[in-house]
Amino acid sequence: MTFYEFLPWLTGLHVAAVLVFAGGLVGETIILAALPQNQSLSQEQQNLAAFVHRLDRRLTAPALLLVWILGITLAVTMGWFSETWLQVKLVFVLILSALHGMQSGLLRRLANGSGQVRGQALRLTIILAAFVLVAILAVVKPF
Amino acid sequence: MTGQELAQEAREPNGERSPIKWLVAASLFEAVTLALLVCVAVPLKHAAGFEIATKIMGPVHGLAFLIYLWTVFNTVSDGSWKASAIARLVLSAFVPFAGFLTPRFIRHQRGALGRR
Repeated sequence: MTFYEFLPWLTGLHVAAVLVFAGGLVGETIILAALPQNQSLSQEQQNLAAFVHRLDRRLTAPALLLVWILGITLAVTMGWFSETWLQVKLVFVLILSALHGMQSGLLRRLANGSGQVRGQALRLTIILAAFVLVAILAVVKPF
Repeated sequence: MTGQELAQEAREPNGERSPIKWLVAASLFEAVTLALLVCVAVPLKHAAGFEIATKIMGPVHGLAFLIYLWTVFNTVSDGSWKASAIARLVLSAFVPFAGFLTPRFIRHQRGALGRR
């Protein structure tokens, strides 16, 4: 099997990793939005945050790393880095990565009994909009 | 604060490595890959025609850059870092060799913010 015959597998694994990452990020965003805002958490809520934090470390964060590795490999192999659709897509990927980094840090602090949930209302909208745009840019490649 | 003191305090109450430790490691990884890209891979490509050097180091540095940015946002999301300090952390990823000074900057900031 040549490397180019292996490309559909790379693409499939990349999409699978994106699905796992998207599910994890959206799920933890919804759970954070459901927690009380601007106040300390009860022991039960702290346990929930600790569970979501463990899930994030074992599933969502590794999926993001796989998304980056497979995405970069695909873009280099196909010579896509000079194309505008990918450059625009990368902006949204950076936004999603940064939001996940912030959220992962918040979950760690909540699990350790420090930190408060703030400003979660708008975050879910931004994340969903970014995922929709990333999907459209990757499939349609409009420019 | 010395490196040894930093290492001793580099764990969270639950035994996890502290975000500061990850940030220092990610900044050094990013700095090393950028230095290798600029000082080794790019000269090899232009002087000796070894295009493979940049084809390997470019993606490796890209991955290191993403990991570093993720770690920066993971660390500063507690809201205790000034915007200028966050900007300094992010901008250092774009300037060759600036990343080697970042661990000292992080320790200085950490001292200014109090031990976390």
